Amino acid sequence: MSEATDRSSTASDSLLDGPLPLVTPRGLLWTLAFLATLAISWRGADVDLRSMFSARTAADTGRFLTGLFPPDFSPSFLRVAGFAALQTIATAIAATVLSLVAGLPLGILASARLWRRGILVEAEGRSAGTLLIASLSRSARAVLGFVRAVPDILWAILFVTIVGLGPLAGTLALAVAYTGLIGQVYADVFDAVDQQPLEALQSTGATRLQIFLRGVWPQSVPALTAYTIYSFECAVRAASVLGLVGAGGIGYEIGISMRLFEYGQVLTLILVFIGLQLLMDVTSRRLRGWLNSGAPQAPSPSRRFFRSSGVAIAAAASFYFAGFTPEVLEQRHVLQHATRFLVAMVPPDFSRAFLDTLGYLTLQTFAISFIGTIIGVAIGSTLAVPATASLVRQDPESAGRHGFATRVGNALVFWSARLALNVMRAIPELVWVLICIVAIGIGPFAGAIAIGVHTGGVLGKLYAEVMEEVPRAPLEALYALGARPLQVLLRGTWPQARPMLLNYTMLRWEANLRVSTLLGLVGGGGLGQAIYNNIQLGFYERVTTMILLIYGLVIAGDWFGDRLRGRTLRQQTPVLHN
Amino acid sequence: MIYALDSVTKVYRQGRAETRALNALSLRVAPGEHVALLGRSGAGKSTLFRLLNATVRPTAGTVVFDGRDVSTMSGAEIRAMRRRIGTVYQQHNLVPTLSALDNTLSGALGRWSLTHTLRGMVRPFKDDLAQALRALESVGLADKRHARVADLSGGQQQRVAIARVLMQDPQVILADEAVASLDPGLAADIIGLLTRIATEGGRTLLASLHLVDLALEHFPRIVAVRDGAIEFDVASSEVHDDLLTKLYANTSLPAVQEPHERSDGPLLNCVR
Repeated sequence: MSEATDRSSTASDSLLDGPLPLVTPRGLLWTLAFLATLAISWRGADVDLRSMFSARTAADTGRFLTGLFPPDFSPSFLRVAGFAALQTIATAIAATVLSLVAGLPLGILASARLWRRGILVEAEGRSAGTLLIASLSRSARAVLGFVRAVPDILWAILFVTIVGLGPLAGTLALAVAYTGLIGQVYADVFDAVDQQPLEALQSTGATRLQIFLRGVWPQSVPALTAYTIYSFECAVRAASVLGLVGAGGIGYEIGISMRLFEYGQVLTLILVFIGLQLLMDVTSRRLRGWLNSGAPQAPSPSRRFFRSSGVAIAAAASFYFAGFTPEVLEQRHVLQHATRFLVAMVPPDFSRAFLDTLGYLTLQTFAISFIGTIIGVAIGSTLAVPATASLVRQDPESAGRHGFATRVGNALVFWSARLALNVMRAIPELVWVLICIVAIGIGPFAGAIAIGVHTGGVLGKLYAEVMEEVPRAPLEALYALGARPLQVLLRGTWPQARPMLLNYTMLRWEANLRVSTLLGLVGGGGLGQAIYNNIQLGFYERVTTMILLIYGLVIAGDWFGDRLRGRTLRQQTPVLHN
Repeated sequence: MIYALDSVTKVYRQGRAETRALNALSLRVAPGEHVALLGRSGAGKSTLFRLLNATVRPTAGTVVFDGRDVSTMSGAEIRAMRRRIGTVYQQHNLVPTLSALDNTLSGALGRWSLTHTLRGMVRPFKDDLAQALRALESVGLADKRHARVADLSGGQQQRVAIARVLMQDPQVILADEAVASLDPGLAADIIGLLTRIATEGGRTLLASLHLVDLALEHFPRIVAVRDGAIEFDVASSEVHDDLLTKLYANTSLPAVQEPHERSDGPLLNCVR
């Protein structure tokens, strides 16, 4: 018996001393910190409950909801929506191709094992050449890190400014953003391969390039393929959203229809968007299955010719629809405009007056993410309980009669909770911003609610999954002694699930911190709104400063989140009551 | 009769595969009786226990608890029945992240209203607390009440599980392989503790065991289960080596073990 685990051995005088005190100093400190953050964020995000529950908001929301139905399925609009979907997919394909072309060499260069440390490098000794390539590799890594940390929609608004409205801006933005993602992940994959085969190759006298081609590459292919498919899925989703700032595709159409108050069209477009995601799900799953099963046999030369020319034509078509039309490419002024824009972006504006305004904007951004996450936790935890199958749907094994009505009622509750969560999750934050603006007007509060609704969908699903995966045996023991489902939830499921629930919530807050910097690009307050305004006004040097700031915030958020999550997971939870 | 099982059959279906866990098993248990169940792993003892605390329903046959057919009970009635039945499991099935005290308190959930449960999570009620502490005291763990269950040893965890049963204050105690994960010395302690609290409370006790010696020592009635049916049901004084050898003999594999003395045979220390 270990005495170290007994927290009360020194303090126990009377056995009736009860549980640990309700208020511990540490608990009090955390509560105070939370309340203070909440109070500041409340002000910062312009939370206004009175206007939220006002008659006007209700009327606007009602008008929006009734306006959604019926969705616009007229042939002329379906043609518009179909073309937008095509453009979105084309954008994603073209951007993925471009980001592979740029990301693969950068990823190879950024790999630490190949150029900087480890057996391959140490065996060769140092020379000016190796030092040069090591520093090149390090800078490639830094560039990838920077490109990745700047959100794709920010790239989109920059490219919209350079090349104008349309899919080309979206394609270029996605290409840049995904070059960062792909390059960094590829470098990580190259670094993670088994080292022993490389050593064996090295001992045969192979050059670095030969080692890469015959040792690193073959080991990496499965992981690279899997990640590339995944990133393509993400690209389709992102391509749909980028349009909200003018970069073509479905998002562009959603933005226009919102502005025209054509809510029936909005619903159609959202349905197309969701359909597109389902399509991507199915396609990528089949693609994965096909790749995992391995190509059964080498196709005949003629089939191979048809297949590869098919792929080439599809790629060319994608580039065409993604905005790489001959007319655009011939326009000389695009390059001139881009150069002028880039020159105007430097040097960044570090004037005192401007930095002062940034402080408040940063606070507002933080506040939006905080309030949004809290709204999301509230929505998510409310809906997660009815969406947890093991809590709601009766186990057909359990003894006793089950009323038919109860069973149908429970199933109904379960499926509607799931449906609500899926809808909230499927619609991206930026689209939610547009919807919230209809109800409560432009500003940070709309952004916070938008984040809250989307986060509610994401967290609700995660919470339900966590509660589903909690070890069953302790719960069965509680049922067996006569506890009701809600009691089992409180005293069996919750204590076991708590660390994971906290962990997911923290991760989501981190993600929201990123998103909240951008909501303003469509009217949701925070730094994004300032970026949008300054671009419109032509203060490009300020935009540079704010991009650097967002980069810093993202890096700081990642670092802080890692530490916080490490802490919550390590933290042990000895009693219910504190 | 507290329990009357009439030709109970239980078939588990998983896809196409069917497992017949119990095959037309009949059993009667009088209130206050102490019964030990013997049988090889997979003989159907755990399924039998699940039927007894109404966590599964029989495929055929009837389970009657205290004069009422379980299959006719409503959800609320099932809960009322379960409240009267305390179960101790092999893997103790406690909530690992909670303290011994909190796990013990959970034993009273069947009696508590939802508001009582919620308020008790903020601060337990004095009466509940006093009862839980008495329960922990009688299993000798009062000094460990604030320790997380996950930090306790196997024997201590099993004693917390028994404290939870005491808190529940049931009429029937079911112990499903409750000592199979413990070493023989600890196992004897736990079985002694279980029979003591059953005797003191006038409770019915059904315990499945792998340690034949322990069963014969503490239980007046021995029920042996084999292939989902009762093999024999006799007073412990009537249990012979022949019966046991047959009970534990493997039907599909040739018997490798010679008949042996009860005191040192591998059966007796069959600790999984």
